[in-house]
Amino acid sequence: MVKLISSDGETFSVEKDVAERSILIKNMIEDVGDSSTEIPIPNVTANVLKKVLEWCEHHKSDPAPVSEDDNDSRKKSTDIDEWDQKFMQVDQEMLFEIILAANYLDIKALLEVGCKTVANMIKGKSPEEIRRQFNIQMDFTPEEEAQIRRENEWAEDR
Amino acid sequence: LSAIFRASDTATLSFVLEFVSPLLKVDPFKVLPTELCLRVLSCVDDPKTLARAAQVSRRWAMLVSDDIIWKGLCERLNYCNQLPPAVSPQILHRRSFDAPSAAQFLPARPSSVLVASPPSAPTPLTTLPVTVTSSTLGTTEVIRDLPLMDSTYSPILARSERPQSYRAFIRQRYMIDSAWLSAGTLAARHVTTDQGVVTCLHLTDKYIAVALDNSRIHIFTADGKLLHTLTGHVMGVWAIMPWGDTLVSGGCDRDLRVWDLVTGTCKRVMRGHTSTVRCLKMSDSRTAISGSRDASLRVWDIETGECLHVLTGHQASVRCLEVHGDICVSGSYDTTAKVWSISRGALLHTLTGHFSQIYALAFDGEKIATGSLDTTVRVWSADSGQCLAVLQGHTSLVGQLQMSGNTLVTGSSDGSTRVWDLKRMVCVHRLAAHDNSVTTLQFDENRIVTGGSDGRVKIWDIKSGHHIRDLACTFEAVWRVAFEDDKVVVLASRQNRTHMEVISFAPPIQDV
Repeated sequence: MVKLISSDGETFSVEKDVAERSILIKNMIEDVGDSSTEIPIPNVTANVLKKVLEWCEHHKSDPAPVSEDDNDSRKKSTDIDEWDQKFMQVDQEMLFEIILAANYLDIKALLEVGCKTVANMIKGKSPEEIRRQFNIQMDFTPEEEAQIRRENEWAEDR
Repeated sequence: LSAIFRASDTATLSFVLEFVSPLLKVDPFKVLPTELCLRVLSCVDDPKTLARAAQVSRRWAMLVSDDIIWKGLCERLNYCNQLPPAVSPQILHRRSFDAPSAAQFLPARPSSVLVASPPSAPTPLTTLPVTVTSSTLGTTEVIRDLPLMDSTYSPILARSERPQSYRAFIRQRYMIDSAWLSAGTLAARHVTTDQGVVTCLHLTDKYIAVALDNSRIHIFTADGKLLHTLTGHVMGVWAIMPWGDTLVSGGCDRDLRVWDLVTGTCKRVMRGHTSTVRCLKMSDSRTAISGSRDASLRVWDIETGECLHVLTGHQASVRCLEVHGDICVSGSYDTTAKVWSISRGALLHTLTGHFSQIYALAFDGEKIATGSLDTTVRVWSADSGQCLAVLQGHTSLVGQLQMSGNTLVTGSSDGSTRVWDLKRMVCVHRLAAHDNSVTTLQFDENRIVTGGSDGRVKIWDIKSGHHIRDLACTFEAVWRVAFEDDKVVVLASRQNRTHMEVISFAPPIQDV
């Protein structure tokens, strides 16, 4: 078992192979050489870390990714497995926190799923729908908006 | 809190919802560092979504302008094989109609949505004589010179500009593909004064070469401006083969002629065949192979005019031939095809099996496909000479064949076009193409274009086999059709005149 401490001081005891889904944690354990020490995770709060560890637990026996930047997994962007889809049904803030944490903890597969989830939230939507989706203020001047619409008109004709 | 909500009425609750829900929404691209934002956008696999994302806000526009996203999209859409020089230094390879390169057959874009839309070209394609609508562009050029009766040419419509970024490249690709589905502009039209059957049409990166059965050969620039009319042959020209700035031709007068396409002059006449030259190919810049109604093939050095070999063995007219490396395959009315070594002038294999004349063949260096009057198509191994399969289904002469990788497309006098999978040796699609003979066809990884003696030019989706559209123009008969990425060239007859039309799918140049 490994002990992880979130930025807000909560302690999580997890199996070593679950924690080692994170390359960052894996390297730290190797560096310390003693898995009984507590490992601080200063950038991740307890509620996010809990969620991330839930993902690691479910994916603990996944085969290791073939290579660093293997494009194959990224080719089919919309494909997310069912469990992951459910897992990602969280509020937007949590979703982005998960992405940040996955990036920080170096969990490639989780980062990928997170990015794909956001990409799917954009896909097929009009600019206005995207703004509503994420509560974004349109900050173009009317001239800029007209200009940028003209520049992107090409994609609308089919 | 939950007690309060339980006690509230619907109006209050929906107010709360309206108030709260924006608070739960966060702009991901404000929260995430740029690197991760780009990663998210790299997951988007369609250009339309990206183009729309660019219009959300300044931050989004800035992120979408990063070409790395578009580069990734290029890779995902398998567009990379055709990357233009601004991004990769290679010259965009344009293939000749008769020599499709087998290597570059790639799966279609996953996002392509093909909807059969009614033909609607911005420029009316039916009136005659034509005044090109884009005369405001100031480049319309009208040539009124024999043997052409009517010519229009507007180069600006025919050319695609080389994109400077992946984003511009995708945009251009997208617009070209859209134009294929529903638009297209008449970029050039030439109408001859006389009636002639078009026997050959070749597109190269520099020229459009057209041969007629009235002894003439017309040479146009790649965007459709008439450069030369090559005269010298007596009677019909039945075979031409362009190679760089050289063209070799042959026909009824039994002569082969070597032309300089820059000056439009005949450099050499090569004699030897004792009957009509019916087919002709080149294996390198100085070696031409001709097949004749005299049942022989001849290998020529076009630099010296010397006949290097006479390949004999066929018992009847040699109708078609294909060349790959040092190997030449000939198809004959004697029902056989023969495999030859060009350099040695030696017969390697005789392919027997057809019950009737062979009219067409395709050869990619390994596989040979032959189309015959016996209605079947046979696939052979060039190496062993073995027949690998007999493809049945057509009910009349199979006169049109193109092969690329494991895809074979055949056109028949029964009016249908068939798409075959040569891995499984089965027919994948049967296209009810034309009321009459399929006289011409070409395909690439996206589409098939067919022309028929019913006067129609049709575009098909090669993956689904669906009919996409008819080109707006209708003729009495279509002789030849050839296309490239962004244009179609149609040779057809209307009112006893031979028409040549270049229809461009290139986006307006000032727009790219």
